[in-house]
Formats: sequence, C-alpha cells, structure tokens
Amino acid sequence: MADLSVDFGKFQLKNPVMTASGTFGYGFEYSRYYDISRLGAVVVKGIRMTPSHGNPTPRVAEVTGGMLNAIGLQGPGVEKFLHGKDYMPFLRKSGATVIVNIWGTTVAEYAEVASRLDAEREGITALEINISCPNVKAGGAAFGTDPVLAAQVVSAVRKATTLPLITKLSPNVTKISDFARVAEENGSDAVSLINTLSAMCIDIETRRPVLANKTGGLSGPAVKPVALRMVYETAQAVRIPIIGMGGIMTGNDAVEFLLAGASAVAVGTANFVDPFAPLKVIDGIDAYLDRHGFKSVRDIVGALA
Amino acid sequence: MDTPGTMIGNVNLKGDYYAAAFCAPEIASKARAGQFVHVRIDDTRNDWILRRPFSICDTDPEKGTVTIVYKVVGKGTAALSGLRPGSICDIMGPLGSCFTPPPDATPVAVCGGYGAAATFMLTRGKKGVLLLGARSEADVILTDKYEKAGFDVRIATNDGSAGTRGFVTELVPRLLEERPQEKFFFCACGPHPMLMALARLLREIGQSGQLSIDHRMCCGVGSCFACVVKVNDPGSADGWRYARSCAEGPVFNLEDVYTGD
Repeated sequence: MADLSVDFGKFQLKNPVMTASGTFGYGFEYSRYYDISRLGAVVVKGIRMTPSHGNPTPRVAEVTGGMLNAIGLQGPGVEKFLHGKDYMPFLRKSGATVIVNIWGTTVAEYAEVASRLDAEREGITALEINISCPNVKAGGAAFGTDPVLAAQVVSAVRKATTLPLITKLSPNVTKISDFARVAEENGSDAVSLINTLSAMCIDIETRRPVLANKTGGLSGPAVKPVALRMVYETAQAVRIPIIGMGGIMTGNDAVEFLLAGASAVAVGTANFVDPFAPLKVIDGIDAYLDRHGFKSVRDIVGALA
Repeated sequence: MDTPGTMIGNVNLKGDYYAAAFCAPEIASKARAGQFVHVRIDDTRNDWILRRPFSICDTDPEKGTVTIVYKVVGKGTAALSGLRPGSICDIMGPLGSCFTPPPDATPVAVCGGYGAAATFMLTRGKKGVLLLGARSEADVILTDKYEKAGFDVRIATNDGSAGTRGFVTELVPRLLEERPQEKFFFCACGPHPMLMALARLLREIGQSGQLSIDHRMCCGVGSCFACVVKVNDPGSADGWRYARSCAEGPVFNLEDVYTGD
C-alpha cells in the first residue's frame, strides 16, 4: 500500500480521488452506498446565492462513448445549502473532505457566495469556482471563455474569502493553459479541468435536438484523450496544482492524468454507471503504484518517462 | 443459487414486449409496487454506458427473483432482448418511492401501455381494478396476469381494437358510476400526457391517488438531476419545483403533481 496522500499547499487530501461537481449531488445520495469520507474530497454540485430550477427536460442524452447533459445548475441556493439537513449539516457529520463548487450570474454574485460560505466555513476545505458550465445562459462558461471576465471573477472571489480556491476551467476555448495562467495570476490555488465539451445530438425522426436546451456538455470515456492533452498542456504552463478530470472510469485512466501532470483527479460520469466507481479508482491507483514500486502517488505526478 | 444479476428468463410477450427475470434475492425481498431497478445491460459495450431504469413488475421473494417487463425502444432494450438466460447484468435496486394505497380503499391501477408493469404488485393487496389504455390491441399486455390475480380489467384503445374506443381516462367516471359507494385509490403509470389528464380529472372529481412520473434518467440515485419532474411547491416563486423522479419519485402523491404547463 503506497502513500496516497496529496498536498495542495493550503490543504491536504487523504487520497487523490475527488468527485466531479454535478455528478455526486451533495454527497448524501451516495452515503447509502459507502462511507464518503473515504474519498479524497467530495465536490458538491454548484451553489449560487438563490435557488435555481435549472433547464427544462430532456436534460441528458446518451452518445457513443459518453453522454450529453444540460442540467443547467439546478440548486438549492447558498442558505439552504448551509442549513438544509441533507446538505452542509449532513456533510459536516459525514467526516468527508468538502469542496464547494460556486457560481453566479455576475462577478458580484460569485464573490457574495464565497463570502457567505466563508462566514460559515466549518467543514469546508476549499471552494471551486465554476466558470465553465456550458449550460447556463448567464454565468458559467460566459466567464470562463473570456480571459478578462475570468480574471475578474477569480480576483473578486479571492478578495471575498481566505479559503483555498480551485478554478474549474472550460475546454471550450482555443488555449486552455492561457486561462489556467489567468487563474494562477489572480490568486487561484489550483485549477481543475476539464468541464464538459459543448456538444449536440439530434433525433432524426423528429428532426429536433434531443436536449431541450438544444446543446449540452459531452462527458464520459469519449472526452478522456482531449482532457488528458489539456491537463498535459496546462501542467507545462502553471506552477499551481492541477486536478484532472474527463472520462475517468478506472484507476488506470486516473494514472494517465497523474502522469500528464495532475496532482489529483476527479471521477464524474463514472458515478452514474457505477456508484462505487471512485472507490475502485482509488484501489486502481494504489495497485498501479504497488505494481511499479512507487512509494507515493506524488512520485508519479508529471512523471512521464 | 445463481449469482445476483443472473438472467433466468427472457421471453417475448408479444410484438416488441418482453419479460425478463433475474436472480436478485435482496431486491426481491424488499421491492414494493412502483419501485424500479437500474440495470447495466452488457457492460462490455461502449456505444452506450448508462444504466436503464425498469419498473419492477413482479418478484418471488422465496426464489429470490425479480421480473421486469419492457418494450424494445432503443439500443439498450434491443440488446437486453437478445440476452439469454445465464447472462449477468449489474442490477441496482429497489430504487424510488412506491404506491401506498390505504388498506380500506380499492386500488385502481390506471395504466398506459407497459405502464401496467409498474402497478402489478398491487394485485398482492385488496382485489382491485385495472384500467388500461393503449394505442391498439398490439400494446395491450399483462391483462391476463391481472385477471388471474382477481382484478377487474377494463381496456380502452385509441383505435377500438381492444376494449372500448377512446382514452383510459374515460373509464374512470364509468367505474365510479358503476360502483358509487366504493372508496377507490388510483395508482397510475403511463405516458406524461395521460398522467396529466388523469391528475386533472381525479382532482376535479375529488378522488385520491398517486402517479408514477419520470423522465429520461441517468444516475438513478438522485445525484445528477436529469430525471426531474415538476411538483407543486408553494414556497417557490413559481409555485413549482423540479423534483428528482428517481429519488423523490417516481411515485408522487396526486396533490403534489404539478399540472400547469
């Protein structure tokens, strides 16, 4: 058994496997299947100031090697998240390492959510700034595909909290490493990538897009090679740690991301296929390390031969 | 006993309709009418990766088996129809909420097509009624099983090829007329427009019940928010909110069902 702990400077994780925001609810849903404190971190579904309905249905479609989603950040709003029994109060009791994904429709709202969470920060390890959701009209990717707006959001959130910050990047840009640099320069402690790839599918019988939102975000095994290249490129560009994600289904998939330069990984779509997927990814990484005689997972970060 | 998930039967009922039975002792011992299983069909394939939800039609707790009834509608169900006994599927369940008719009421299953699978386990309680709507005779399934279980079966088809011509909702007032003194509890599963029409009707005539409503599902456990349906929420500015049909449903109380746009 190798040492699986990872060090992000401002915070440490017991192992490098997190859940990707939006694929693990608020942790409660999976706690009936296993002890969620076994995970490196639980990254909860995006939180903004007010409750939001999200998009109309259908919200998901299956495609070869993956799926499209256009959930549209349905959520309870920050107050219910902090005080509703199945949200933060549950997570505090669970002993899980919690990272809260935040978003807003204005720069000010991002900062306001961060400040509200900072005020009741017990049990919160870090915030993940979502500037990359492709499925909301205002907010999300609107901030993550414009370097000026991205800088404004990260900088405003940085001023609003002393909690460690992770900026979640959009792959729907020409050069993702430029955005990673923007996050780094404006005070982000880490970057996570990739969010989903903007995509579409059409029902040829009805001649309509399958998703009510017309377009959605592609995830699953199909995106892994793209995500891996983006993590690799970003690792050459920034000094802050990277959380790699995109189509990770197995421990071996995760090892590819670590070798490409990610310090930790997140499991997303695989949660929908197998609730136990993140635990299997942890075991798979451990087995790889043992098989190759590595003492610590840190030894393989960016360790391409 | 077989490994949990082992298929022990997969028979064609008629046309595109099949019944598949699996060894699943834990699910068989817990399942209630209206609940579902989430099945990963052939995990060696990568042209689809998501699970498929199926209503639990019947169980045999002693033998430890669970039966689902399905229609071939896409790649996943086509592959399922081709699996032979001995194949193994990864099955999660039982999931979701269940029908809870009060003990003093006669349960009335109001179903559209293979929605009749979701209410079949109601036949274990008080002798009730099945009102089944279908496009045509080709889509009428499970009625023999309901009859055998002592249910009063009435059918309506759009083209009149079985039962009366018309919509299943039209059978409701007729039932109430014939049995005016009886206390009924309506348990429904079927296409969305049918369920909305039924919900409006039941409210109008002051009957109580529950409806199984779902939408294209993904995780099956409440984490992804894909399968949401609108439910009344006086606390929300719009009067409704999106509830996850997999975790908060699929069976919703009539009074919670939002019948607006």
